[in-house]
Parts: sequence; C-alpha cells; structure tokens
Amino acid sequence: MTTDNIVFLNIIFLLLAGGVPYFIILEKSNKFSAKAIFIVSGFLLLTGVLLSFYTDREYMTSFVLVSFFTALYSIYRATQTTNFYKLGYYFIFINAPFFILFEEHGAFYSLSLLVSLLGIYAIASFYEKHYGSANYLYVRGITLATPLVGIHITVYLITIGLYPPLPNSLFFLTHIFNSEANALWLVIVITLYAGNFLVSMRVLERSIFGKKNPNIHYVDLNFKEKITHFAIIVSLVLLSIYGMKEILTWA
Amino acid sequence: MEKLTLLIPGIPIIIAFLLFFINKKELIPKISIVLSSMIALLGLYGTYYVMSNDTQIIGFNGLLVYNELSAILVPYVAILGLVIRKYATKYMWDEAGYKRFFILLNFIFASIYLLVMSNNLIVLALAWQLMSVGLYLLVSFNVGSKTAVKNARWTMYIHKGADFVFLLAVILTYQTFGSFDLLVLKEKWLIMSQSPVTDPMVLTVGLLYLLAAMMKSAIVPFHIWLPYTSEAPTPVSGLMHAGVVNVGGILLNKMAYLLILTPMVLNIAFVVGLFTAIFASMLMLVVSDIKRSLGYSTVGQMGYMIMEIGLGAFSLAIYHLIVHGIFKASLFLESGSIIKYARKDPNIPERLSHKTFLEENTKFKSSKTFKLIAVFTIVPVVAFVGIKMLLAPEFFGFNAAIVILAFAWLTGTQLFLSFFKVSKFDSIKAIFGIVSSFILVLFTYEFIGLSLEHFLYGHDSLLFYKAATLNVTLVSALVVLSFVMIVGWLFIYKQHFKTPVSTKEKANKSKWSFYKLLVKEGYYFEIFNSSKKGKL
Repeated sequence: MTTDNIVFLNIIFLLLAGGVPYFIILEKSNKFSAKAIFIVSGFLLLTGVLLSFYTDREYMTSFVLVSFFTALYSIYRATQTTNFYKLGYYFIFINAPFFILFEEHGAFYSLSLLVSLLGIYAIASFYEKHYGSANYLYVRGITLATPLVGIHITVYLITIGLYPPLPNSLFFLTHIFNSEANALWLVIVITLYAGNFLVSMRVLERSIFGKKNPNIHYVDLNFKEKITHFAIIVSLVLLSIYGMKEILTWA
Repeated sequence: MEKLTLLIPGIPIIIAFLLFFINKKELIPKISIVLSSMIALLGLYGTYYVMSNDTQIIGFNGLLVYNELSAILVPYVAILGLVIRKYATKYMWDEAGYKRFFILLNFIFASIYLLVMSNNLIVLALAWQLMSVGLYLLVSFNVGSKTAVKNARWTMYIHKGADFVFLLAVILTYQTFGSFDLLVLKEKWLIMSQSPVTDPMVLTVGLLYLLAAMMKSAIVPFHIWLPYTSEAPTPVSGLMHAGVVNVGGILLNKMAYLLILTPMVLNIAFVVGLFTAIFASMLMLVVSDIKRSLGYSTVGQMGYMIMEIGLGAFSLAIYHLIVHGIFKASLFLESGSIIKYARKDPNIPERLSHKTFLEENTKFKSSKTFKLIAVFTIVPVVAFVGIKMLLAPEFFGFNAAIVILAFAWLTGTQLFLSFFKVSKFDSIKAIFGIVSSFILVLFTYEFIGLSLEHFLYGHDSLLFYKAATLNVTLVSALVVLSFVMIVGWLFIYKQHFKTPVSTKEKANKSKWSFYKLLVKEGYYFEIFNSSKKGKL
C-alpha cells in the first residue's frame, strides 16, 4: 500500500471511529438531539467496522494521537453526564484509539463495543419511554425495584468496563497479548483501560445502586423489550465465544 | 473418568444459569447445594486420583490442570462453598435479592476454581479478573446502603489495579520466556535456576506478580478494602476472609519456580509480609469496631502468609491459608448464633478477656508465676527445635529457620501465657498439661506441614528455601533472634507485672501519639482526604 493510501485510509477511519470530536458541533446544533448523535456516531462506527473487514490496516502514530486526545476529552465529558444517550456516544469516542491502534483486532473490538452500546441505547429508550428522559440520576435503586433492567445495565456496563468473559475484554486481551508494547501503546492502553473502567463503574454505581425513589413508579421490561435485550445478550455471548476461541488459540 | 474433574470450574456457571430461570425460592438453594456437592465429590475423586497415581490430570489442550495444588485447594474450596451455601439458605432468606446472591456466589466460585486449576497464564488472567467483578457485585450486595456501595467501589479500584498489574506481568512473562503454559514455564524456570539470573526483566516480572498478589491479598498499603467490606452479608464475609483474599498466596505458589530466579522479590515479600503482620495485628487490637477488627486480623494473617512465601516456605503458606480460612469462616458464620444466644441471655458474650487479663490478673503476681513465665518463654523454642530436628533436620541449613523460630517462639509464648492465664491453676499438673498439649499440637502441625511440602514440591522445596535465604550470617541471625527474645520477654514481664494506670496520671506523649496512629488506622483516610482536597 502506498503512503498516500495509508494516510487516506487513516483519515477515513479516524472520522468513522470517532477519532475527532465532531459531537461538539452536533451538540451545539438544535437539529441534533443526543439520541440522534448516538445513532449517527454508531452508524459511522459500524461503517468503519465493515469497511475495515475489506481493507488492510496500518495505523499512523499521528492519527492515533489525535484520537487519543479526543478520547481524553470524551472521558471528561462522560463523567459530566447522567444521560444514557450521551454516555453511549461518548463511549464510541473514548474507544476510537483502540479501533485505530488494534488494526485487525480493532474491528472485532469495536463490533462488540457497538453491540454493548446497542444495549445502552435500548436502556436509554426504555428510560425515555417510562421515566420521561434517558437521565438515570433520579431513577435509582434499579437493582431492587426492577431487577431485570438492573441485570442488563450491569452486563452492558461491565462489558464496556473490560471485564471477562465478555467480548470487549477478550478482544482487548487478544490484542495486547499479540502486540509489541511501546511508549505510545502503553500510554493509550493504560489510559483507556482505566477510562472505560472508571466511567462505566461510575454509571453503574449511580444507576443500579441506591435506595428506591418513592416518587417514581418503577416499571420492569415488557415482553417485547425482553426479546430485544435477549437478542443483544445472545449477540454478546456469540462474540464472547468467538473472542474466547481467538484468545485461546493464541494461548 | 478422571477428566471429568476438569469440568469443575464450569459447574458453578451451569448452576448460575439454571438459577436464572428458577422462580420458586425454595428450589434456589436446593439446586445450588445439590450441584455443588457434585463439585466436592469430583474434587475429592480428583485428589484421590492425583495422590494414588502420583500424576496430574491435564485437559482442554493443556489449559486446565488438576495437579497437587488443585488436589489440596479444590476440595477445600468446594467444602467451604457447600457450608457457605447451606448457611446462606436460611440467613439470606428474607433479604432482597435472594436469587441474585446465589447466582453471584456461583460466579465467584467458578472464578476461584478456574484460578486454582488454570495451567495457562491467559486462563489465569481471565479468572483473576472474573473474581474482581464477582467480588464487587457481592460486596455491594446491600445496594441500598451508601457505605456498602462506597466500600465496594474502593474494593473494585484496588482489584482493578491488581488486574492491570497482573496483565502487565503476563505480557512481560510471554515476552521474556515465550510461553503462557505454566508447565512449560516451570521447566524453563527450573533450568534457568541452575545458574545465576541477571536479566532485569525477570526481576520486573517477579515484582509485578508479587504486587498483584499483594493487592488481592490486602497487604499493606493495599489492605484498606478488606476491613471496610464487612457490611456485606455474613456468608460473603466468610467467603472473602476464607477464600477470595487467599488468591495472592495461590498465585505466588503457582509462580514459585519463577521466584527461585528472583531472590530479591522473595526478600521484599518477607519484609512487606512481616510489616503487614505486625502493623495489622496492632490495628486489630485498637480499632473499636469488632468487624473491622476481624478484618485487620485477616490482613495480619495474609501478612504472615506472604512472609512465609518470602522465606521460601511456599507450602506452609498454603497450609496457613487453609487453616486460617477454616478458622475465620467459622468465626463469621458462628456470629449469628452468638447474637441469638446474647438475645436470650444478657450476660453473653461475656467479657472474658477483661475478666481473665485484668480483673483476675492480680492473683498471679507471685514470684512463682514469674519463674513459670520465664520457663514458658524457652519451652516453645526448645519444643520447636526438637520437633524440627526430628522431622526435617535439613531445615536448619537455611537461615529462614531462624525467622520461623522467632515466630514460633513469639506465637508459642503468647499461646502459653493465654492458656496459663485462662486455666487459672497455678499447679505443676496444669503446666504439664499445657506443655504436653503444646508439643502434641506442634508435632501434628509440623507433620502435616512437612507432608504437604513433600506432596506439593518434593525435594524442590529446598530450592525455595535456598533462594529465599537472606544474606546474613548465622551468628548475626542468632543475635537478632536473641534480641527479639529478650525484648519480647521483657515486654511480657512488664505486661504481667505492670501496675494499673491511674486515671489521673498523664499518658506518655510518644505512647499517646503511637496509640493515635493506630486508632486512626495509620492516618490512611486523612492522607487520602488531604490529597483529594489538594493539600498534598
């Protein structure tokens, strides 16, 4: 591949994976709600993932650095929000450096990220429908009030928080065991490993734990919603099986 | 048939999956207990197979192994698991989240079995992390309590740190030694141990494993998660203190052959273990909360465990963790019945320690008693040396023996004094009874310890002692031992003959500062809060 092609592909992937913080502009626009930004960024990442299956990847350090700074800013923004939609797209931007840095493993990592974010999207829609908005701060005590919703939030956030045997962690581990560490690699891997963990644990603590709010009429998942979440969980399990196979082949 | 043993880590996952679909509350513990009994039976069969055939059961392409270490630990964990499940059946009945509790319990047991039986560093890394998340969800089980959730967060931070350090160690191990397979690595490490190793990467890898073990085993300064997680349900506390916290010792035993190459890591383990054992035991005595006191007691015991590893006594650490685990689990699980009796009888629990050591203490202030104490301080050392000479004379070839001797003396003397005071009989008959039972207990302990050492490591155990040998001469080691004995004896003497402190008397300033340091738990939270406010 020529240098021009590598640069071009890196720019494309940088944009698709959320390596540049375009959400800043979209958030200021009145035309885009948080839900819309989530859908746009998710769709772009999916395009990037699909595209990466058909192209040879070779990352350039400068592009990784750009996405890394975007990720740092996104971590900061993620700690400021209590809205599931916003949180969802911040996670896409937080994980952009992994997509670029991990090359061929990055596609599967981002795919499993997308599936877990689909779960977050379904939860956000559920909150919007039953509690008026996707804000989780005042809808506390989910574990005791609506255990099924609690279980799903836990699974999605633990997946994003990079815990095995869930797929994000397995693809992450496959990459880190496979690659040669250098200073940039170490900084990015450590920061984002901690970033994903801290943000997801913060949300987990604030959403599912706590006492029930007596002013809220809690509603658990209905049959249709159960089917949706079941499908997402099955997808995560399938990805986990694939991820396990990948990592154990390497072992 | 024996390969079935390797299915053990999967059984709790199947139980958890089954429980998810069960709505009848009565069935939840029944299914959990019946299927867990299968694990215990399989574990015992595996142990019998390994012992009788003097072999290991390897499967899943070499990813899992049922070896000597598994043969000891799996039945222990399985039986502990059965007791905890049985206990939780009624204890947790009225708690919100009964099903969630049993599901989480099974997940954490799966991770413990996987960790013990893993023969591959990647599988070990997966189990290591799975345990962190399982522990977090169990510690925060009481979701309505702010303190429980806050303490769970702290636990999670420290365990995530341990996860990261462990991952780093695994990556570096692969880059340095070229394999993830622990059996392959063991052979490599054994060959490398025949000549001095100077590669700094080997030292780094050893240090990282030690650091990860310290974090998970609550060694100072990573201890703070353990004493503060007592708000978790009692069965969880039992599991934490008897099982989860021991994983540091298990990891270091799995890495024992690597640590032969890094004597410095063993020496560091000895120092941090010793410090933790002393510091946490002192904190245990001064904290006002009984559950935190138990927490610090466990931290102290973990310090002993790491110290034993630092001395090269790897199998002793395994023995210690099992004995301590059984003891601590029974303490936690018995607490409910003591509360029940206390509700019926206001005099229970009796203030036994106060009655024995303070109110009745004046009776023993005789010169005869003093002479007896002086004898008691020597008897433990004589008994220990005699038994060791009889069972394993080669032990005295390493100066680790001196340190173990010092601790045998300290523990033995304390034990003697406690028995003596509690017995309240100042007679030759009572003394003879105490001395003979002490020798019997010590002999049994040593015999089991040595049998375990031979079973786990055979003649390789001498390699560990050799690697852990501190660079001091026998003479200086004996001087240190004598110093410890004299100071200890003086301390005990003073304690026994001290005059009661008058309330009008002003406390010594340095003593008061030291007491404050202990009561404030080493100013741990003050330092943390100051750094949070930007004062540091």
